[in-house]
Amino acid sequence: MKFLKPLLTIFVFLIGLNTSHLKAQDYYLYVAAESDDDVHLIHFNGQSEQGEIAETIEVGTWPQENEGPHGLTVSPDGKYWFVSIAHGYPYGSLWKYETGTNEFVDKVELGMFPATMDISKSTGLLYVVNFNLHGDMEPSTVSVVEPNTMMRLQDVETGIMPHGSRISDDGRWQYHVSMMTDELVVIDTENLEVAKRLNLSKMNDRKPEMDHSEMNHQNMKHSPIVKPTWADPHPSKPLVYVAGNGSDELIEINTNNWKITNRWKTGKAPYNLEISHDGKLLVASYKGEGATGVWDLEAGKELAKIPNSRKVSHGVSISPDDKFAFISMEGIGGEPGSVDVINLETLKRVEVIETSKQAGGIIFWKMEN
Amino acid sequence: MGKAVKLMAVVFVLATGNLFAQNTSTLTISIEPDPVTVKVGEEIQLKATLMDGEKVLPDTILFYSRNGYDLEVSREGFVKANKPGTYSVLALRSGPRDQRVMKRFEVQVPFPPIASLEFKNIPDNFYSKTTYDLNVDVIDEMDLIRENPSLTFKSSNPSVAMISHGKLLALKPGKATITASSEGKSTELSVTVKKNPASEIVIANTETSVRTGDVITLNANAKGSNGRSIEVPITYSFVAQPEDNLGQGAEGQINQQGKFVANVPGTFILTARAGDAVTDQVIQVRERNVARELEVVGHGKVLDVHTSDLWVWEGTDGRDYAITGTWGASGDAYFWDVTDPANLTPIDTVRVDARTVNDVKISEDGTIGVLTREGASNRKNGIVILDVSDPYNVEVITEYNDGLTGGVHNAFIYENHVYAVNNGTRYDIINIEDPANPYTVNRFELDTPGHSIHDVWIEDGIAYSSNWRDGVVAVDIGSKNSELADAGGSPENPVKLGSYTYPSGWNHAAFPFKSESTGDFYVIAGDEAFPNGLPSRNNPAAAAGWIHFVKFDGWDNPKEVARYQVPEAGTHNFWVVGDTLYVAYYNGGLRIVDISGELMGNLYDQGREIAKFEPTHGDAIVPNAPFTWGPQPYKDYIFISDWNSGLWSVKLLEPAQQGTN
Repeated sequence: MKFLKPLLTIFVFLIGLNTSHLKAQDYYLYVAAESDDDVHLIHFNGQSEQGEIAETIEVGTWPQENEGPHGLTVSPDGKYWFVSIAHGYPYGSLWKYETGTNEFVDKVELGMFPATMDISKSTGLLYVVNFNLHGDMEPSTVSVVEPNTMMRLQDVETGIMPHGSRISDDGRWQYHVSMMTDELVVIDTENLEVAKRLNLSKMNDRKPEMDHSEMNHQNMKHSPIVKPTWADPHPSKPLVYVAGNGSDELIEINTNNWKITNRWKTGKAPYNLEISHDGKLLVASYKGEGATGVWDLEAGKELAKIPNSRKVSHGVSISPDDKFAFISMEGIGGEPGSVDVINLETLKRVEVIETSKQAGGIIFWKMEN
Repeated sequence: MGKAVKLMAVVFVLATGNLFAQNTSTLTISIEPDPVTVKVGEEIQLKATLMDGEKVLPDTILFYSRNGYDLEVSREGFVKANKPGTYSVLALRSGPRDQRVMKRFEVQVPFPPIASLEFKNIPDNFYSKTTYDLNVDVIDEMDLIRENPSLTFKSSNPSVAMISHGKLLALKPGKATITASSEGKSTELSVTVKKNPASEIVIANTETSVRTGDVITLNANAKGSNGRSIEVPITYSFVAQPEDNLGQGAEGQINQQGKFVANVPGTFILTARAGDAVTDQVIQVRERNVARELEVVGHGKVLDVHTSDLWVWEGTDGRDYAITGTWGASGDAYFWDVTDPANLTPIDTVRVDARTVNDVKISEDGTIGVLTREGASNRKNGIVILDVSDPYNVEVITEYNDGLTGGVHNAFIYENHVYAVNNGTRYDIINIEDPANPYTVNRFELDTPGHSIHDVWIEDGIAYSSNWRDGVVAVDIGSKNSELADAGGSPENPVKLGSYTYPSGWNHAAFPFKSESTGDFYVIAGDEAFPNGLPSRNNPAAAAGWIHFVKFDGWDNPKEVARYQVPEAGTHNFWVVGDTLYVAYYNGGLRIVDISGELMGNLYDQGREIAKFEPTHGDAIVPNAPFTWGPQPYKDYIFISDWNSGLWSVKLLEPAQQGTN
C-alpha cells in the first residue's frame, strides 16, 4: 500500500494539469473594431465576471482611410493572431501579429474585402473568404495562405459574397456560405477545391428528388432568400449549422448525406454562430434585433434570447470551458462597439466591455488561472 | 482498492496522453530532384518522400505553389514552369498538428540563355568631343528582352571612342568598334567619329534678368564654319555665384533641352557646348519675392471629432455657406454660415447612418448636396442626397446605394449627375435630375490589373480621376472645351482621353490647370502616403508625398515637368485658381504657391511659396498638430478643413508697399 501515496500524489497533480481549465479565471480574446481600425485584446475575469480592454492595437496603414479590420483567428499554438483588413487599393489583406507582444509580423494581399478565416488543424493552412461585400454580384474566392511564411497559395473560386469560414475539427473540410446564392460550400482543405455545394433554400427541401446538378445554380439570377452568413461544423457529429440571415432561421445539415435535417426559426437576422466545445449549445447573434440566442442542439430549442447592450450584434466566441459566450456588438454611427459577455450557465448577460466603433470579428485566445 | 488503482491508472494515462504524443521532430520530407530546376516551358514530376532519419515512411505528400501562374504545381507534384524566377513551393504531410510535417523548398526556373544583343537608338552621326548613351537590348532564346542584364562594353580604339560607365565618349575623328557582351553573347557597333562641325554656338535667349523659379530656355543653335545651322548634340551646364554662399544647397538646375531654372538669387553663367564651340550667357537672378502675409480670420471649432472635407458656396439667398464632413465619428455633416468669415457659425447638422462622411459636395446652383457614407450600420453605404436650398434647415431627400454598398469615398456633382467613386475600383455616374429618384446611367472603370481609384474632379465636361498606381486619368463626359477634348463623351458614354502614371503609385488627387501666363495645360497630380507610420497623439506628423505637375501637350503626350515637395510633410487635397495653387499639406498645413510661368524642378526650392498656415488648437482631437485636409479659395478668403481642429478661414494680405525715407 506504500506505493499508493506517491501514486495518489501524481494522480492529483495530473488531474490538476489536465483540468486546470475548470478553475480558469482569466479569459483573453481579441476583437476587431472595424470602423476605428483597432483590434482590442480583451481580458475577462471569470470569477468577478468583469472585463476590460487589456490593450488596443492600431492596425492598418492609412490614417485617412478606414481600412476595416474584419475577421480574426489565432494560430493553433496560440502564438500568433491574424486579422483580415477589408479595404485596400483595391484589395484587402491579411496581417499577422504575435500574441502577447501584439507586434506586427507580416502581411499578404488577398482579394476584395477579405473577412472570416480559420486555420486547419490538418494542413496548417489558413483559409479566408473574400467577402467582396461591395462588388458586383459575381463569384468570389477563398484565399489559402501558408501562415508561417504568409504565402498566398491559392484562390479557390466559390459563390457570391462568401462568408463564415470555419473548419471541421479534423481539419479536412472548410465550410462557408455563399450569401447571395443561398449555398453552403465545403472546400477540401488538402486539394483546395470545392468539394460540395448545397442549396439552402426551402425549395430544395420540397423537391429533394429533383436533380439540380445540371441547373448551374451558380449563374442563376435568383434573389437570395436565406442569405446565409455563417457556417460552423459540430465538433463531434456529422452536422453543420448555418445562420439564415435573410430567412431568420438556423439550418442543420447532415454532412453524411448532405441533406438539411432541421430548420429552426430564430430571432431577426441571425448572423454569426458558434457551437460550444461539448457540442451541446449553439450561440447565435441576432443582428437584426440586437440579441443573442442560446440553443440546445439536442432539443432543437432556444433556451434563451438575451438582449444585447446595443444594436447590430456581430460575432460569437465561446470560451473553451463553455462557460461564457462573448458577443461583439457593432453599434450604430458614433456609438462605441462592445463585447457582451453571457454566462452560459445562468444564461444572463454579465458584462459589457465597451470598445472602439463597430466591434466585429472576435476570437478567443487563451484561459489562465 | 484495486478498483481505485485501476481508475487512477486510467486517469493517469488520459492525463498524460499529451506527454507521449508522437514526436515529428525527426521526420523530414525529401524532395527529388534536389535542387529542383525547371526550364521555362518544361514540365517535371517531383517526388516527395517522408523520412525518419534514413528510414522511408509510406505517406502522402501534397504540394502547393505560391505563384500558381508562373509556376504551376499540382497537389501531386507535377510542375510546369511558365516564367523565369525563383519560386517557393510547399510540401506537406497533412494531419493533426502533432503529425504534420512541412517542407518549403525552392524551384529554380533559370532565365533562358541569351540569344542575341542589339544596339538600339543609334545616332546617325558620332561627333568628336561629344558623349553618347549606349542602348542595348539583350534578347533571350524565348525572344524576351532581359531586364537589367549584366552588360560589358569594349572599344577597339579607345583613343577615338572611349567607354565609361556605359557612355560612349567620342574623343577624336576615327573609327572604332564597340562590342557589347552579356553571358558569352556579344554584338558589335561600328562607329565612325567625325570631326565636330560646330564652330559657333548662338544662344537666342534674351531674358538675362529673371527671378528664382523663372524658366529660361536658352534656344542654343550650333553653326558650322559656313555660318549655317547644323544638327549636332549640344550639352548644357552652368556655374553659380549665389548671393548667399554660406553652405548653400543646389542653386539651380539645367536640363539637356537647354532649360534652366534658379533656386536662389545670384549670378549664373549658363554654358552651351558642341565640340570645341562654347558659348556662355550670364544670367542675373533675383528673389521671386511673392511671399505675402496671411491673416487668420475665423475658426469654426470642431475639436471632438475629426473633420473631413469641405465645400463653400453661395446660397440661393446670397449668403455664404459651408459644409464639412466628419471622419470616424457619428455620421454628421455640419453646415456653417460663413458670410462673415470671422464668425464661422454652425447652423445645422445632418446625421446619417455612417461613421464617416468623407466627402461633401454642393451643386453649382446651391440647392443640392451630396454626402458620401462609410460605415453604415446596414453596410449599405452609398450616397445621401440633400436639399440645401435652405442651409439652416437642410433636409435629406433620399439615400442611394444601388451598387454602392461598399462605401463611396469621394464624389463630384456636375450637371445633374453625381460621379461617385465606388468600391475603390470605379466611379458610378448617377443621374439626379430628379434628386428624389436617382438612377445610375453608367460607370467608368479602368481595365488594368488590380486597378484602384480614389477621387474624381470635373471641369469643362472632363473628369479627372486619381487612381493610385494607375495615376491620373482624363475622361470626356461631355466636353465643353473642344480645344481640350472632343471625343463625343457624355455621362452615359464616358470616353477615356489620356492618362499618366508615376512610379510611387501614390496618386490620390487630380486637378486640371490651364496656365494663365503660358497657356500650358497640366493635370496636377497629388500624392497621399504614410511611409512613416500612422499619425497619432504620440506621432502627429507622418505624411509624405508631393504635387506632380504633368504637362499634357495633347492627351497622348504627358510629361512630368515639375513638383512641389515640402520635406517631411505630405499632400492631401488641393485647388487651383488662376496661377495660384492652394495645397492642404497634412502636417505641413496650408501652402499657397505661385505656379505662374513655365514650371520646372521643385517649386518649393524656388521661392514660389506665397504663404503657409498651420492650423492648430490646444484642445483639438490631436492637440497642437496641423493635419490639413482640404482648401477652398472662395471670394476673398481661403477656407480650409483641418482633420484635427475643424473649419478655418484665412486671408492673404496685400503685399506691403515699399516705403521710402
